[in-house]
Amino acid sequence: MPDHILTYLIFLPVLAAFLALFIPRDRSAWFRVLNLAVCGVQGILTIIAIVRYGSETGDLRLIERTEWFSLNLGTWGSLRAEYFLGVDGLSLPLIALTVFVMIIAGISSWTITKGVKGYFTLMLILNAAVIGSFAALDLLLFYLFFEFMLLPMFFLIGIWGGKRREYASIKFFLYTLCGSILILVAFIGLYISGSVPGDVATHTFNIMYLRDGSNYVPGSVLDPSGTWLIGGWSARNWAFLLLFVGFAIKLPMVPFHTWLPDAHVEAPTPVSVILAALLLKIGGYGLLRIAYPLFPDAALSLSWMVGLFGVVSIIYGALTAMASKDLKRLIAYSSVSHMGYVLLGMASATQEGVSGAVYQMVSHGVITTMLFLIAGVLYDRTNDRMIENYSGLARIMPVYFVVVLIAFFASLGLPGFSGFIAEIMVFLGAFRSNVIHLSLAIIATLGLALGAAYYLWTIQRMFFGKLHVRGAASTEQLTDLDLREKVMFLPLAAITLILGIFPQLLLNYIDPFALGFVSLLTGGS
Amino acid sequence: MKIEAGLPEKLEWIQHSLGFFGPELILFAGIVVVLCVGIIIPSLRAGSGSSTPLVIGLIASLFACAVSLAGWNQETEGLHLFGGMIVNDRFSSWLKIICDVAGALTFLLSLKDQRKHVSEYVALVLSVLLGAHMLSMSVGMIMIFLSLEMISITSYVLAGYSFKQEGAEGSLKYFLFGTASAAVMLYGLSLLYGITGSSIISSQEFVEGLLAHQSLLLLVAGLLALAGFLFKMAALPMHLWAPDVYQAAPMPVVALFSVVPKLAGLAVLTRFVLAATAYGQSLIDWKAIVGLIAIVTITAGNVAALRQSNAKRMMAYSSIAQSGFLLIGVAALTEQSIQFMMFYAAVYFVANYLVFGYLQYFESKGVLTIPDFAGTGRTDPVAHGFLLAGLISLTGIPPTAGFTAKLLIFTGLYDAYRITDDSFLLWIFVPGLLNTVIALFYYLRIPYFAFLRDGDGVPAKYLTWTNFLGLVLVLTLLGLFFRPDGLMGWINKITFVL
Repeated sequence: MPDHILTYLIFLPVLAAFLALFIPRDRSAWFRVLNLAVCGVQGILTIIAIVRYGSETGDLRLIERTEWFSLNLGTWGSLRAEYFLGVDGLSLPLIALTVFVMIIAGISSWTITKGVKGYFTLMLILNAAVIGSFAALDLLLFYLFFEFMLLPMFFLIGIWGGKRREYASIKFFLYTLCGSILILVAFIGLYISGSVPGDVATHTFNIMYLRDGSNYVPGSVLDPSGTWLIGGWSARNWAFLLLFVGFAIKLPMVPFHTWLPDAHVEAPTPVSVILAALLLKIGGYGLLRIAYPLFPDAALSLSWMVGLFGVVSIIYGALTAMASKDLKRLIAYSSVSHMGYVLLGMASATQEGVSGAVYQMVSHGVITTMLFLIAGVLYDRTNDRMIENYSGLARIMPVYFVVVLIAFFASLGLPGFSGFIAEIMVFLGAFRSNVIHLSLAIIATLGLALGAAYYLWTIQRMFFGKLHVRGAASTEQLTDLDLREKVMFLPLAAITLILGIFPQLLLNYIDPFALGFVSLLTGGS
Repeated sequence: MKIEAGLPEKLEWIQHSLGFFGPELILFAGIVVVLCVGIIIPSLRAGSGSSTPLVIGLIASLFACAVSLAGWNQETEGLHLFGGMIVNDRFSSWLKIICDVAGALTFLLSLKDQRKHVSEYVALVLSVLLGAHMLSMSVGMIMIFLSLEMISITSYVLAGYSFKQEGAEGSLKYFLFGTASAAVMLYGLSLLYGITGSSIISSQEFVEGLLAHQSLLLLVAGLLALAGFLFKMAALPMHLWAPDVYQAAPMPVVALFSVVPKLAGLAVLTRFVLAATAYGQSLIDWKAIVGLIAIVTITAGNVAALRQSNAKRMMAYSSIAQSGFLLIGVAALTEQSIQFMMFYAAVYFVANYLVFGYLQYFESKGVLTIPDFAGTGRTDPVAHGFLLAGLISLTGIPPTAGFTAKLLIFTGLYDAYRITDDSFLLWIFVPGLLNTVIALFYYLRIPYFAFLRDGDGVPAKYLTWTNFLGLVLVLTLLGLFFRPDGLMGWINKITFVL
């Protein structure tokens, strides 16, 4: 078994989804149990994977590699696609995060009553696609998993979502597809220009080969030593820009973020959780795994732009969050703000910054899961998420209040929580960086203050003061957390605390990756 | 090419040529047999009844396909037959194979609802196939015109085969438009004949004649000739007939129209453009013209499709847009890009038949417009799942072969850009791909209504003939995504020479 552990991780849910098709549709409990069982087995597999991975180096481990297909392209050689999986210090934490969040989302999905069969089938497919994206090391394979997330997500939002679900699902789909088309343009250029070592006639999608500048066909469009210009600008810069925008839509980055608040607000709670905690990470992952390492030269020269957009996202996201009246929308915009730190961290091109970016992705994954569940708790009880309609909730929902405090403080970056470690590292990198301007780092610190402001203000408005509920809801509906909800929140709170107090647990994996990443960047310039 | 040869030599030439004319002779025999059967069987003579003619048609088209397949390994270079009027090469064989299989599927789809004048119907479909066979091989102007008209005239009749008023209207529109464009094309071809002094577009004489007269007249004559081919492909600006005809014609006929005449038109257009560029020596940039047509066709087809509420009309505009994607292969005009275009054609054919098969299935349940689909996804998830796979493939999203096909066709374009450094190719590239996003919007409308909107659908049986056919086509699309190497290995043997 251990030889193909990543394959098992990816295809177990696919198999389960296939099995689910044969379960009668009225057996809701079966689907819930099946989904949880799959996630549970994935959890065990992930622990085995972590143990087998070790932590000393930033190398790829658990590699599975075999030829997928090889197309003969006539006079200009052949094209080889590989089934190539592997994990390193970047993808292993993200895969662990995926499995963990999927378990929580699975439990959270028990409130779904409509079309349970279709819902869990799509969830299982989504599960496989996300893990596949993190594990794939061949561009075509990556693209397959990347696109495979779209349709399940479209239907999950569109069928099980809120009032404006149709608008939100279409918008999500169009934005994301636009992004993936841009990515595809760059991928086509990459495989046409790249080849396997020592054989210029065999074109490849293999990311590890394409990282090496000597594997490009001399004179091809994306040859690092070539001087191919398109519109007066180097073709490699264009390709980087395409990948950057493509992944930035997914991230999402201001100004390509407008799909996110709609999709998040309309999606049912577990789907929002997956969207925010996992799908956004694919954007950051794509930048760190593909855009930067494949175009280190272009990435360094355009880092100012990445950093600038990062800072814009931080500030704009925070300001919009502060202005949001809907709790879920506030959380959605806080995601935009927090993903800005990921951009800033990688733009700094320092080890601290890159480590901080990866740390932020994992930390945000955990914290945002809590945040969306918190919004879900309220919505499940009253069908109303307007912040202004509540006050003094701390009196009648004490446990909920504690959970909200933990989540909000973790998210605003209070020391002791994982968010703090991530942000402090990003800032360390940004201030020390000689790639991006110091002013960007200084402006970004504003984001910290704004983050504290909108979270504390929300707590003040909703939980302090006299007990008061406006609108259709009544105070009787506002019961405290039940056992199922406590079971979901407990591990989440524990993990963000553990990662805040013992950052080395995660940095042991991330740091070697960041070191290799930075040396690739600076060595390649 | 001994045009001036004496009668005995000509007869010998014809006799020799007939040996390579197997698939066409089979189709011809099929037409004769099916017409005789129509006269002999009394119930058929009365104008209704049996499915025997459909079975004969099925056998004839599959047999023709088998003969083409058997001859696949023999044709290394293009064989000029009948005094150089037609060329039998792998390029045409490939298209003939697709057309024959498309014909066979048409007969299978027709089994369900074609109950009037069946033997005539089969004879007409076989005639379309025969015309497509001839057109995909034609290099002589006379043959081009004759075979193109053979497709056209039979198509006019088929377009009205629903025997309803709108069918007759669609048929008449098709006829008027078709006649006009055929006349325009004929005028263009006659000018070209006058300019070059040769009626065989693949001949050295024709190419040299073109090179000697690089003038505005040549541009006009070429454009006029192109118009006729674009009409067959339903590409802009000759696409106007398609939506009306598609909406009015019976579903199997629509499926046939969306594939067979299109591919035959594509074949002759490819040969013509290759000749007109004169090995890259022509002053007129025909590739850029085709590229422009391609991108305008894709965009206009997609944008118009957005606004349709009738499923068949939407698919008509979809097939217009898909013509544009096929034309990209011609715009790049390298051997690879032509091969990729052949791959695209095969995938397009499978996905289109899948979609039309299910549209027919839903049409039989009274679902005609896109809003009618509301709620049917919940009651009939299998049919909608398969239909979704077809639509996803037409959009070009993994894991369907439509993605591979688009990837390859744009690869061909990218590579042509790398070789020639023609920046216009880049101008096709980005809008072409971005069109996929527009396309998604309308291709997803049927699943969108089916799954996301509430409505009442009737619970459906899963084990049906349509679902079996659908499963086969879906598996083909998935298989060609995961293992494209097998089919591409075949297509790689297509060496394209004039």
